[in-house]
Amino acid sequence: MADGAQVGQAWDSGSLRSLFDPATGLLDRRVLSDEGIYRLELERIFARGWNFMCHESQIPEPGDYFINYIGEDQVIVVRDEEGRVNVLLNTCRHRGNALCRAEQGHAKSFVCSYHGWNYALDGRLIGAPGQKTYYHDDLDRDRLGLAKAAQVDSYLGFYFATLAPDAPSLHDYLGEVGRTGIGMIAAYGDVEVVDGVQKNVIGCNWKIAVDNLFDWYHVPYSHASAQSAGFIDIAEILYPKNQMVMLGEYGHGIGGPGIPREMQDRIDAMSDEERLAYSRTLPSTAPRVRPHAATQLMGPVGVRSMGHPNIFPNLWVTMSGLQICLRLPRGPSHTELWWFTIVPKGIPPEARRAMIRQANHVFGPAGLLEQDDGENWSQSTRSARGAASRKLGHTLSMGLGRDTAAPGEGAGASYIETSINEHGQRWLYRAWTEWMAARDWAELKANHTQPPTGVV
Amino acid sequence: MQALEKARPADRTWADAGLPERAVLQYEVEQFLYAEAALLDARKYREWLGLVAEDIHYWMPIRRTVTNADLDREFTRPGDVAFFDDDRELLEMRVKKLEAGSAWSEDPPSRSRHLVTNVRILDAEGELITLEACFHLYRTRLNSEVDSWVGRRVDTLRRTGAGFLLAKRHLFLDQTLILSTNMSTIF
Repeated sequence: MADGAQVGQAWDSGSLRSLFDPATGLLDRRVLSDEGIYRLELERIFARGWNFMCHESQIPEPGDYFINYIGEDQVIVVRDEEGRVNVLLNTCRHRGNALCRAEQGHAKSFVCSYHGWNYALDGRLIGAPGQKTYYHDDLDRDRLGLAKAAQVDSYLGFYFATLAPDAPSLHDYLGEVGRTGIGMIAAYGDVEVVDGVQKNVIGCNWKIAVDNLFDWYHVPYSHASAQSAGFIDIAEILYPKNQMVMLGEYGHGIGGPGIPREMQDRIDAMSDEERLAYSRTLPSTAPRVRPHAATQLMGPVGVRSMGHPNIFPNLWVTMSGLQICLRLPRGPSHTELWWFTIVPKGIPPEARRAMIRQANHVFGPAGLLEQDDGENWSQSTRSARGAASRKLGHTLSMGLGRDTAAPGEGAGASYIETSINEHGQRWLYRAWTEWMAARDWAELKANHTQPPTGVV
Repeated sequence: MQALEKARPADRTWADAGLPERAVLQYEVEQFLYAEAALLDARKYREWLGLVAEDIHYWMPIRRTVTNADLDREFTRPGDVAFFDDDRELLEMRVKKLEAGSAWSEDPPSRSRHLVTNVRILDAEGELITLEACFHLYRTRLNSEVDSWVGRRVDTLRRTGAGFLLAKRHLFLDQTLILSTNMSTIF
């Protein structure tokens, strides 16, 4: 298997950039199937970007850990004795064995099951059997601690990590659009992750699972049976003519329904109590009306978004702020979906139960909506392998050249108000080609496209 | 059946039941479970719903890979996140969805086989019978998709004048990461 760097020579910057044409919306299907592109993604997308690790409420006490991934690098996310969160590569420095084989739990230290090397919660090598007798005291323990993420930081309790020392700070990386995405969850107050992450694997490329979240075109058709069953009222959540897309620097995006400005003006005039009362009149599947505090977290534009944020590369936030989902790559043809359910702290048990009930039944492998997504994605991935079908491209042209983007509140963001469209998907793949073509963060910083304004 | 019930005075529990009573009930329960499985395999979901009690709790918690020290947290608890946490209304929605003609994840339909084994009656008091069973739900769809879900389940059946109704089904799957595109099926 060629590593990313070797493959990178086969895929030069020009050919990587040509995989998506923003002028026509044509996407080369090889991005969904090519093994070399996939190996390069692990280097240039996942190892380089900030990846969601867990929420602080999942590891409240020293010794609590949660296993996650940066691409295919398995990491232990663990709170140490000082209360700091460490992100450690789950691989022993002796022979590479995994230190931790559970997916979550509590530990005093991490002892390798192969030869017994013992690591502290902050990754230091604190012992190895036979240091005196077999190693004659020349084992360099200071050099042989567990490898750590280059940077770990949190925003509103959500922990992220990157393997790139030269990555921008988490705050700058998220930018207005990424922070709006997290704000969509935190808008309802302090939150906690409910115990239990729904995990399943789908035979699709990770990107088609990501770009689907900007795709509100599929909802009435793919999910028609959830409507027939009486589970959702698509008209209550879709608003096909009131769509808002936010584009963020480095590929973040939000796509979906937007609250028209005049309606937001009416909401702004309501007290939080009035908003809560109004929310109770909406269908149970409709998102709650956000309280005043949301405007500070999301900004006056972001607060009007009822769409789905993607924090590049692979963290989906649902419009209700109730769930987030990681799309974890497992080779070009497989993706693990991890659904986290998040509720405000200290809410009445009845409200908490209703939220969890809703979350349990929408997404996840048995969710009444998501059941119908996976096979569409896996068949689209499969068709990217055929000698003839892979040459056809995907057509992402909806709305192209017909809309106008306005600048966001700050630098690095813009937004479009229109009808159902594919702006979000185009922005995602445009950013993806730039990440793939850049050899390091310096090149990416120098050569990435700012969110466009004007005709898009 | 009345004769058998008489054989066990009211103050004695299922643990005191004699072999004939156990054998007959075991037979009745197994026949119900097989008939129910056959309806699901034949995609007769509406008929299957006829065997479901109004107060059904149909629940599949999430199982996690944990160390021996953390085994008390292997499964999520009631009220936390689950794959299924359904009442009658939700199960009816699942059936309506399958009947809608637009449930694309089941068109072409999956082929399934519900195997139920190791049936042990844990308790039988009054109208309620609680049993434990192992299940293997094999599903194949399209030409090459295969899913195999194995686990333990605890069912409660309620005896009515018209036969048994399923009043509880708690499913404890052996997989932690679900190795399937979806679970667009009924266990």
